[in-house]
Amino acid sequence: MSEVNVTPSPASRISTGRRTGTRRKPKKNQIPYGIALFVGMLAFGIYLTAVSARLGIFWLIGCCFGFILQKSRFCFTASLRDPALTGSTSLSRAVLIAFAVTSIAFTAVKYGAHIGGLPIPGQGSVAPISLATAVGAFLFGIGMVIAGGCASGTLMRVGEGFGMQFLSLFFFIVGSLLGAHNFGWWKITFIDKGPRIFLPDIFGWVGAVAAQLLVIALLYVLADKWENKKLG
Amino acid sequence: MMAQEVLLDCLGEACPVPLVKTEKKLTTLAVGDILVVQIDHSCAMKNIPEWARKEGHNVEIEEVDDGEWEVIIEKVK
Amino acid sequence: MDLKSNKFYQQWFKNAWTYVTGAILLSLFQIVTLVVTGKPWGVSSTLTNWGAWLYSAVGGQVDSWYYFSSERAQITLDAGFFNDAGSMRNLGIIFGALLATLLASQFKFKKIKSMKQVIAAILGGLLMGYGARVGLGCNIGALYSSIASLSVSGWVFAIFLFLGALVGSKLLTKFFM
Repeated sequence: MSEVNVTPSPASRISTGRRTGTRRKPKKNQIPYGIALFVGMLAFGIYLTAVSARLGIFWLIGCCFGFILQKSRFCFTASLRDPALTGSTSLSRAVLIAFAVTSIAFTAVKYGAHIGGLPIPGQGSVAPISLATAVGAFLFGIGMVIAGGCASGTLMRVGEGFGMQFLSLFFFIVGSLLGAHNFGWWKITFIDKGPRIFLPDIFGWVGAVAAQLLVIALLYVLADKWENKKLG
Repeated sequence: MMAQEVLLDCLGEACPVPLVKTEKKLTTLAVGDILVVQIDHSCAMKNIPEWARKEGHNVEIEEVDDGEWEVIIEKVK
Repeated sequence: MDLKSNKFYQQWFKNAWTYVTGAILLSLFQIVTLVVTGKPWGVSSTLTNWGAWLYSAVGGQVDSWYYFSSERAQITLDAGFFNDAGSMRNLGIIFGALLATLLASQFKFKKIKSMKQVIAAILGGLLMGYGARVGLGCNIGALYSSIASLSVSGWVFAIFLFLGALVGSKLLTKFFM
């Protein structure tokens, strides 16, 4: 299934007249602009670091995330959309790999703090589970598919020069503001009543990682089988 | 009968529109026909060839301009 | 030396990386983020602050809102955009992506093509923004970072996100294509 038949090349079969006609103008070299931008970004990073180290670090990390997202065309939206829409699960499986690797590393960091008697970092991400989680995720799921990108994806595509994503970023911000406006009601009615469930509290540290990796592995196998069934 | 060569303009379209359009267009073509999909979405430049190859078609991709690609798909089945 | 045909330029800056490469590198920077900043990566709560700043720029008032009532939120809002670390990270995502596109010589401004795209962007954006506030985050904060933090909330978010994506796909193919 994986080997690609390369002969005869589809491109070679296309009439040359149309092919030369497509190249409207000679390609420009954008690399110098890239290098100039890199210098500018570096200078801005140095300026921010002078204001506060924290700002500089966040800027640096953000730039790395943006670069990685764009270079690998990583897309959380596609990972959830494509299995049903086209049957492709290659991004879904990549997201599962990210989940697995980050889970192991996060647990190591958290466990290290725990046995060292320090406060466990990042426990704010252990969020309360309530109807608000379900409603919020459901609305978000609809929105990201229609807009063609989630929060990180939209920011990344703004950087790529996608006009449509400028607009969806603006309305993402407007929607956030509306959500923040109603937040008190959601919080008191649902969120405050929801339990925060941290897996190590149930299964112990080792058991939690093992259970999580098992679920991720099962989903990975399922995704692979699904793709083989739907494609090829 | 001569094999057809069909052009599909997906410039300015965001994911998953180019891929879904390609999928639909390809079902209307006959074996041996060639579909040329024009895209300028960097993600589609990766997911259309990947999808088409998994479906078993012959695929080539060409960068025709800055941030513009043509995915050339020969329908083989 | 011709940079464009250089093997390493091609591998690192020109060609797209594999999804798995992306997964590993994102994981690496998630770890950096947790260790250095004490919190995993998040994107959407910062966008809410952007909303508050834009709203005050046109004369709105958010100080009395429950969401912004904490002392920390007030300090962040008072300090402004360029003193907010989360904003610098989000801005970094935009510029990091721009840099990657320029170094590959693949930048192109893509104009909005149709009214359908306008409606899709407005509707999609609003749903995402509202959903992210109600669901306490986006695909990064409430999904990726929560799951990696061994929180069950991340998995619950994932299930309903998937259901939403199914509905979204149906709507997209029916109305926005």
